[in-house]
Amino acid sequence: MTIITRRSVLRNSLAVAAAGTLARPFIANAAASTATVWWTQGFVPEEDAAFRKMVEDYQKQSGNTIDYSLVPFAPLSQKIVSALTSGDVPDLISHDINDQIFVPQNAWDDKVIEVGDVVDTQKDQYSPSVYLATQYYNNATKKRGIYMIPFKTAVIPFHVWNSLVEKAGFKLADAPKTWDAFWDFFKPMQAKLRETTRNIYAMGLQCTTTGPADGNNMFAGFLIANGGNDIVTKDGKAHLDDPKIKEAVAKSLKYITDAYKGGYVPSGALSWNDADDNNAFHSKLFVMDFDGTISTEVALYHDKEQYDDIATLPLPNRNDGKPNAAQLGVGAAFIPKGAKNVEVAKDFMKYVIQPQVTNAFLKEGLGRWLPAVPSLVKSDPFWMADPHRKAYVTEGLLSETVPNWMVFNPGWAEVNAQQVWGAAEADIIRNGTAPEAAADAAFKKIDAILGKYPIVQS
Amino acid sequence: MASVSVIEAGRPVLGRRSRLRSLRGGLQGSEYAWAIAFCIPYIAVFLAFVVYPVLYGLWLGHKPALYLELVHDPIYQETVVNTILYLVIGVNVKMFFALLLSGFFMRKGWWVKGLLMIYVLPWAVPALPTFISIHWMLNTQWGLVNNALWDVFHVDGPGWLDTTRWLALGSVIVSYIWKNMPFWTVILLAGRMAIPTELYEAAEVDGATGIRRFVHVSMPLLANLYLVCTLLSTIFTLGDFNTAYFISGGGPALSTHVLATLGIRDAFEIARPELGVAAVLSALPLMIPLVITLMHKLRTSEVQL
Amino acid sequence: MTAVTAQGAPARRPNYKRRRVWGEMAALALAVVLIIWTLAPLYNMVMVSLSSHADVFSSNIWPSDASAVSYWIVLSEGYWYLEYFWHQYANSIYIGFWTVFLTLGIGSMVSYSIGRMRIRHGWLLTNAALMTYLVPASFLAIPFYRIMQSYGLGNNVWSIIAVEVTFATPYAIFIFQQYGRSIPFELDEAARIDGASPIQVYFRIYLPLMAPALVAVGTYALLLAWNEYLYQFLLLSNKRSMTVPVALAQFLNSDESPWNYMMATAVVYAIPPVIIYYLFRGKMTAGLTMGGVKG
Repeated sequence: MTIITRRSVLRNSLAVAAAGTLARPFIANAAASTATVWWTQGFVPEEDAAFRKMVEDYQKQSGNTIDYSLVPFAPLSQKIVSALTSGDVPDLISHDINDQIFVPQNAWDDKVIEVGDVVDTQKDQYSPSVYLATQYYNNATKKRGIYMIPFKTAVIPFHVWNSLVEKAGFKLADAPKTWDAFWDFFKPMQAKLRETTRNIYAMGLQCTTTGPADGNNMFAGFLIANGGNDIVTKDGKAHLDDPKIKEAVAKSLKYITDAYKGGYVPSGALSWNDADDNNAFHSKLFVMDFDGTISTEVALYHDKEQYDDIATLPLPNRNDGKPNAAQLGVGAAFIPKGAKNVEVAKDFMKYVIQPQVTNAFLKEGLGRWLPAVPSLVKSDPFWMADPHRKAYVTEGLLSETVPNWMVFNPGWAEVNAQQVWGAAEADIIRNGTAPEAAADAAFKKIDAILGKYPIVQS
Repeated sequence: MASVSVIEAGRPVLGRRSRLRSLRGGLQGSEYAWAIAFCIPYIAVFLAFVVYPVLYGLWLGHKPALYLELVHDPIYQETVVNTILYLVIGVNVKMFFALLLSGFFMRKGWWVKGLLMIYVLPWAVPALPTFISIHWMLNTQWGLVNNALWDVFHVDGPGWLDTTRWLALGSVIVSYIWKNMPFWTVILLAGRMAIPTELYEAAEVDGATGIRRFVHVSMPLLANLYLVCTLLSTIFTLGDFNTAYFISGGGPALSTHVLATLGIRDAFEIARPELGVAAVLSALPLMIPLVITLMHKLRTSEVQL
Repeated sequence: MTAVTAQGAPARRPNYKRRRVWGEMAALALAVVLIIWTLAPLYNMVMVSLSSHADVFSSNIWPSDASAVSYWIVLSEGYWYLEYFWHQYANSIYIGFWTVFLTLGIGSMVSYSIGRMRIRHGWLLTNAALMTYLVPASFLAIPFYRIMQSYGLGNNVWSIIAVEVTFATPYAIFIFQQYGRSIPFELDEAARIDGASPIQVYFRIYLPLMAPALVAVGTYALLLAWNEYLYQFLLLSNKRSMTVPVALAQFLNSDESPWNYMMATAVVYAIPPVIIYYLFRGKMTAGLTMGGVKG
């Protein structure tokens, strides 16, 4: 017997109205062997095509059906938040910023399903940073668990217009090998180039509060280069009292804001979004940019002359001369609690993370994302065949990397979302606050945010 | 003018209508059923798409701790100030100029009609691309505004959206006025056109022209309309997400958010939907008096008729 | 109101003519300011759409080599963000059409019941409608996502139509009630005496006389649906159910985008409401009177 409620009547009449007038009827409840999947739309059409092919291959092999939506970046964020809040969730969600925001926060809230059995099928293939980044703290069980299934990675390389460097009378081969000196190398080019061009700057330094990602990534680059990587350690503790950390933060803030105040950065950088610096770099508004992935180059893939004019460089050494370590972004999928078909979702991801399958998929994306498995770039010549890709692979897979801080403490996702560093930089630039004072203010904010995420030692 | 004749035709019967109503003393059986039936579609929409989501939203934002957190957040404090400035300056400047311009568009001549057709374009063109266009125009390095300043005066324009909160907020407000002024100008123009011409002629005979005619004839007749429009516009503007989001994006340094954009930011960028809902809900103390005044205004004007 | 207006009288004062000339000059100056004010952002849109990709961020105020190639790309769906452009355009029109139709239908029915049939406690309904505006649209984003799922309208253009109708109807009721007061009640009474049923009065008398208000509110509802972005962005996701604003937003998501195609898309998207406004502007002005003018 069906009980007729007002809601069901409403729902039915609305559905009838919709089906009657709309050419495409609403897809009814999925069959048992179907998993609903949300996936980030690719950067180039080939990436979407490769995803479709991967799904087709899987469907043929398994007999299961994958009902997928390829959703652009920003709407996908909104849909994920709405879905997890309301409980109407798909079976599998892959988003480029799962590791930065959604998984740390929702694993903490116990809204994500453990996927250790999936991840462990490739456990010995993953690099240590990648494997570490699958694990997050669950505040209900008071334990860390494996909540995320990684299949791609990314780091932040430097992008330089070679022609501009040469026009200014410099040679990129002369660039110093340590962090601050490397940045300083570009400053004198500005005056030279201004002799012929009105609006040109040395660097695209994203001291922004808009983001969402660039400002935080850039600052993390500085902080690690200044020896501040231990601001949050593996146990989830923040070390804000450590004078070494404070010095690293203040030094980073000082360098960034001095560059801005010195006029080496376009003034608009204070409110840049993640695409603005790419656009400005493409229009040759500045010589050098420090920006995530090689999308900057890949966007010009079909313009051979421009593509070859850009030099992609891995990180120089830290300021103390020791080798640097890039912070590793991990592209991954997760299964939200409430998913109706966990088994198919897991089975699909087991298929996806097989090195050969992922490799074919990522190559179609023109190498914008790196594999999560270092051995692949050694066996497949594709990854070293192109100078941009080679530099990118060197930084992301062949050198030491460190995980993002939110892997250790989900509060860091909020620290990033609140743009704490961008706000500190803006405070120094706009109000003349001293870097040390701005660092203290930032620490106070971070302390308040992390206070909401007490991690119990196990 | 159609509106004038209709209103004039309507005028003599107003008195009789209420008498008829009292004579009729309510609807009879089948008519009553019809009257109910006519209301049902709207009641259904209201229950399904207003009551249910609002209750759900209230439930999401019901925890007092959320509001405490907001109040202690300096960004929220700035946002409240921005929202008030946005409403007070944006709406009033817009309505004031709309009132003046509606008078201007009463002028005769083909070119005034042509100008009106151009003038309403911002309203007719979709919001998203035009705001993005304005955002680029205001770019410090490659925007049209600073390019034009350089070409004409050879000076470097300021960083409209980048440097100070007030310049950026001002840009948001000006963009808002640009987009919304035409609509309210058209409404006030319609109101002016509905003023019987005899009133102006009578005023002319009495020697009132220009400003005096405006003060003594137009203004009293338009006052009620102007007030209702201002209220409605304030209510619409409080929920306006597009302008601030696409013009300044809340920058520089998160200093130009309004409640609508801060709510979306908290909900979707920080991924804390309850906080976002709470941010938007905190506008209720401002909204409730506005809506009640509007309701009151409508009911009293009904009584007057 | 052309021949009989006030200013038609011959000059009464000696300096009247000179003042008039000055008045004309001032009006012309104001016109020039208004044209620049209105057209600058639109000019910028068109300029970007005519630029080549490399030229978009140059320091020019006119593209060095203007070409309409972006428009051709848009119209021929020649870029992958735009591969379903016409389909998405059709979705926008579909949503616009149903939003207008349902807003006018639902709004006029309830206004007829409250305003003409004078249903008891009708004012409660009017006030309830206004209360919709108590909650800013952005507040309802997550609740709407949730209810659309439970109504079975996830990723369906009908969810957008429902949202737009929800927000457009209160305004429709407001305008219809105000405008309806100018229609003499005798007409209804006479028809009733002739034996017409309420529904016949609604169709034969009420709707025809309300035509200007219907046109005005219809245009308003269309522009609301056409301008709206947040809900379309949130509730629609696959490329075939998307509307043009969501497709436009794709350009914002990317690290690197052909802005000239985006602006060309925007210009093409802007054309229908502009045409509709021009077609109906006569009636519209009359319909928006809101009955606000009275002693």
